[in-house]
Amino acid sequence: MIEHWMFNCKEVSLKVSESLDRRLPLFQRLMIRMHLMMCRYCARFHRQILLIRELVRYTQPMENTFNKSGTLPPDARARLKQTLKSASAGS
Amino acid sequence: MNRSKAEEAYILNPETWVDRYGDYLYRFALSRVKDPGVAEDLVQETFLAALRGLQNFKQRSSGHTWLTAILKHKIVDFLRKKHREQVIEDIETVSESTDGFFKNSGSWRIRPAKWDINPAKIFEQQEFMDVLLKCLAQLPERLARAFMLREMEGLSTEEICKSMQISATNSWVMLYRARTYLRRCLEINWFDKPTGEVE
Repeated sequence: MIEHWMFNCKEVSLKVSESLDRRLPLFQRLMIRMHLMMCRYCARFHRQILLIRELVRYTQPMENTFNKSGTLPPDARARLKQTLKSASAGS
Repeated sequence: MNRSKAEEAYILNPETWVDRYGDYLYRFALSRVKDPGVAEDLVQETFLAALRGLQNFKQRSSGHTWLTAILKHKIVDFLRKKHREQVIEDIETVSESTDGFFKNSGSWRIRPAKWDINPAKIFEQQEFMDVLLKCLAQLPERLARAFMLREMEGLSTEEICKSMQISATNSWVMLYRARTYLRRCLEINWFDKPTGEVE
């Protein structure tokens, strides 16, 4: 009967991911916290998907994150302006 | 949101986009696709998509963030098409589905490995973003889209459900699959742990 109430790793990994998208009910939060205390792999999974979230957000556009060299060639710039102009006019 | 009036004026006036954001987006695209012609096309598609979606641009983010988010979608679409025609050589194809990570009993079959986080390496953001976009390109299109809307554009799951016409439960499962896949793909290609952790 006890097992019936316990989440296994597969369920915990789903719930851990879900907790990044919504607030889970109290009971589920407690069950997950207990599982994470006992299971190092699920705890890792949890830390790692949180890390991925941080990294993805942290690597949001910042001018210095990539090679500065390379600006739009003048002809490309002109083409883009033309395209945008006719697209805006058409809309 | 702390978006300046000036920024808002720029974004609401598409004629200023090329001068204001063109170089930035072009460099971003070029650093990922390495082909000036393709980079230009991607920037053009980004601007056109932005123009179509201008009314959806709320006080959510800066113009740079918004346009870069659209550009990332375009890059991932491009990489996906490209890889469909080519053998992927620089990245190992990860064939395990989400279920494949677990035994029938629900315990881990491919256990998450310990990631050695090297503070110097973690700031090699160009490299990380390259690997991330390649991993995203390997995901089924809708999973990648859900993930990017959530984590790159910061939409709530309610907004994602509306935009993709899916149920809340469906969105959680899709985001779970995307995260699980990406976690494993990064483990293999960024943290150099191809086998996961074995007993």
